[in-house]
Amino acid sequence: MNEFLKDVIKLKRRILVVDDEEINRRMLSKILSSDYEVLTAEDGDRALDIINSERDLLSLILLDLIMPGKDGYELLNIIQGDPQLRKIPVIVLTSEESAEVQSLKKGAADFIPKPYNLPDVILARIEKTIQLYETINIVKATQFDSLTGLYNKEYFMEYASVMDQFYRDREMDAVALNVNRFHVLNEIHGRNTGDAILRMIGRALKEYVYEHEGIACRYDADGFFLYLPHEDDICSALSEKITSLETGDLNNIFNRIRYGIYPKANREYAIHRRFDCALFACNSIKGDFEKRVSYYDSTMHEKEAYSERLLADMETGLKERQFRVYYQPKYYIQGEEPALSSAEALVRWIHPVLGMISPAKFIPVFEDNGLVSKLDRYVWKEAARQVGEWKMRYGFTIPVSVNVSRVDLMEADFVEEITSIMTDAGITASEYLLEVTESAYTEDSDRIIEVVNRLRSLGLKIEMDDFGTGYSSLNMLSSLPIDVLKLDMGFIRNIENSEKDLKMVELIMDIAGYLNLRVVAEGVETEEQYKLLKKTGVHLIQGYYFSKPLPAEEMEDVLKRGFLKK
Amino acid sequence: MITVEKLENLGCNTAEGLERCLNDESFYLSLVPGAFEKKRYEELEGLIKKADLKAAFDEAHALKGVLSNLAITPLFDCISEITERLRAGDQGDYTALLSRMWEVYSEFEKIL
Repeated sequence: MNEFLKDVIKLKRRILVVDDEEINRRMLSKILSSDYEVLTAEDGDRALDIINSERDLLSLILLDLIMPGKDGYELLNIIQGDPQLRKIPVIVLTSEESAEVQSLKKGAADFIPKPYNLPDVILARIEKTIQLYETINIVKATQFDSLTGLYNKEYFMEYASVMDQFYRDREMDAVALNVNRFHVLNEIHGRNTGDAILRMIGRALKEYVYEHEGIACRYDADGFFLYLPHEDDICSALSEKITSLETGDLNNIFNRIRYGIYPKANREYAIHRRFDCALFACNSIKGDFEKRVSYYDSTMHEKEAYSERLLADMETGLKERQFRVYYQPKYYIQGEEPALSSAEALVRWIHPVLGMISPAKFIPVFEDNGLVSKLDRYVWKEAARQVGEWKMRYGFTIPVSVNVSRVDLMEADFVEEITSIMTDAGITASEYLLEVTESAYTEDSDRIIEVVNRLRSLGLKIEMDDFGTGYSSLNMLSSLPIDVLKLDMGFIRNIENSEKDLKMVELIMDIAGYLNLRVVAEGVETEEQYKLLKKTGVHLIQGYYFSKPLPAEEMEDVLKRGFLKK
Repeated sequence: MITVEKLENLGCNTAEGLERCLNDESFYLSLVPGAFEKKRYEELEGLIKKADLKAAFDEAHALKGVLSNLAITPLFDCISEITERLRAGDQGDYTALLSRMWEVYSEFEKIL
C-alpha cells in the first residue's frame, strides 16, 4: 500500500492535526508537511466536520486530548463508535502518562508525548501507524467472502495454519461440503434465491464453527471448508445445524448437501493438501443421491494416489503411444448369417509399470481434470489412421465409430477438426461413425443438434450411445438428428430372465422402426441374448458373444476373414 | 527584536525547541511570541483568584504544553508547578507562584 500510494498514485497521505493551541498545530504542520498533506482543526467540532467530509481520504488523526468544547476523548469515542471512521488511526497528543493508557484503551493507535519527541521519531511513529492500519484495513476488506461473510479461501488457509501453530497437539478435522448440482437450483429458482440459500448456509456454518472453536470459508460458488477440533460425529451435529435453517419450499436443498470429512487430518500434510483430501472425499459422492457423507481414509488415499499417478503419467503415455486403440466388432444379425458390419474404437492404456489399465479407471479421472479431450483426439486420429491404412493395404475396410463427448461437440471448430482428421487419414464420411451419448443432448440441445446436423450433412452417421440412460422424451427423440440407437447394456444384461426388459427392447424397436433408425445392442455376452435380440429385430450386435475388443492386428485378421468366427 | 541568543540568555533550551522546528530559526522565532499572550496569563491568574481550579488547570495545562514544545524553560518550570498544584486540587495560596510567574514573564516581555 505504501509503495502503491507513493509510486503509483503519487499522492501524499492526509493527516488531520487537532489541537486548540495554534503553536502546536503549526509546529506539527512544519514537521509533517514535507511528507504529508496536513489539515488542521482548532477544536473538536471543526475536527468532526473535517473527519466526516474527508473520511475516505484521511490517513491519520493527531488528536490533542484536552481542548475546550468537544475534547479529545469525546472525539475518540465518536470515531470508535463509527465502523467507517474506526478505520482511521488516531494518535493522541498528551503530556499526561495516565492519559496515554486511557486513550489506548479507548482505541487510539498510539500517543505522542508533549513536549514532542524529535521530529524523526514523530515521523517514524506516524509512518508505522499508517502502514499498520492500511494493512489491517486491506486484510479486513479482503479476508471475507462478500456473499456469506465467511473467510475467503486464502485467508482461511492462512488462519488454519495459524491455528496449527497455536494448538500443536489438538486433533483437527478438515471438512468440505458442497451443494450437489447447485447450478440447477440457480437456474430453476433464480440467482437471488441461490444466493439467499448460500448466505443461510454461511450463517449456519459461522455459528457452528463459533460454537466449536473452528473456522469456515467459502472456497467456491457452492462449496465450503471448515477446520475445527475433532468430533466423533461431526457430520450429524453439522447437518442438524444446517437442516434447522428455514428455507421455505426449498427444504430438499439439504438432501443435496454432500459432506467430505477428513477426520484427525494428518498434520504432516500441508494445510491445502488436507483440504484437497476432504474435497476428494466430498467429490467422491458427487451425483450420488443415496450417500451424503464420505470420510477420507487410507483406501481413498490409495485411490487418490492412483489417480494422481494416472494424471502425472498421461502426457508421457500419449507421447510414447502407451494408449492403444482396440476395436470391438459389430455384427449385422438380420441376415442368414451374422456379418461383420463395423467396429467401435475403444482405448486401452498399456502402462509400463501398472500394466493394462481399463478405461473405466482412467477416463473418469481425465474427465474430472479436463484432460479427456486430449485423449479423445488421440483416439479419433489413431482410429481414422488405422481405417485409412486397412483401406490402402486391402482395398476395403469397415466403418469404425469413435466416441464424442458433449464438450467436444461444443468446441467451436469441432466439425472442421473431424473433417481434417478424415482427410489426413484418406477416409470418407461413410467409413467413420460418431457415437454421442444420449445425455449429451440434455443441455443446450439446440446447439448440439446444430453441430450434429452439420456433421450429418457431410455424410457422417451418428449413433446415440447409451440409449435408455438419458431420459430422452419420445418427442425429443423424434427431433434429434441421429441414425442409430445404441441400446445401453443395462437392457440386455437380464433380457433372458426379465420379461420386462425384453418388452422394453421390443418397445424400443417399435419406436426405432417408426423413426426409421437402426438399433445396436451392446454388451451381448450369451447365445440366448443374441437369439432373443435377433427375434426382436435388433440390427446389430456388439459384445463378448462375438468378440471382445481386439488390438489392431487381431482386428485386421477378423477384417480379412470377412466372416464370422463362430 | 527577539533572537535565539536572547532566549538562551534567559535560560531557554533553544536547541531543543529549534529541533522541533526542524532547525528553522525564523519559524521558531515566529512561534515564540504566541506563547506570551499576556491575556492568557492574566486569565490564569484571575481563575486562580476566583478559585475556579478546574478552568485554571485547563489554562495552565495548555500554556505548559506550548512552553514545553518551544522549550521556554524558565516560564515552563513556573507554569508546570502551578499546573501540578491545580491538578492536585490545591486550594492554598498561589501568590508567591504567580508573582514569580510575572517576574519571569516580564523578563521575556523585554525581549519580545
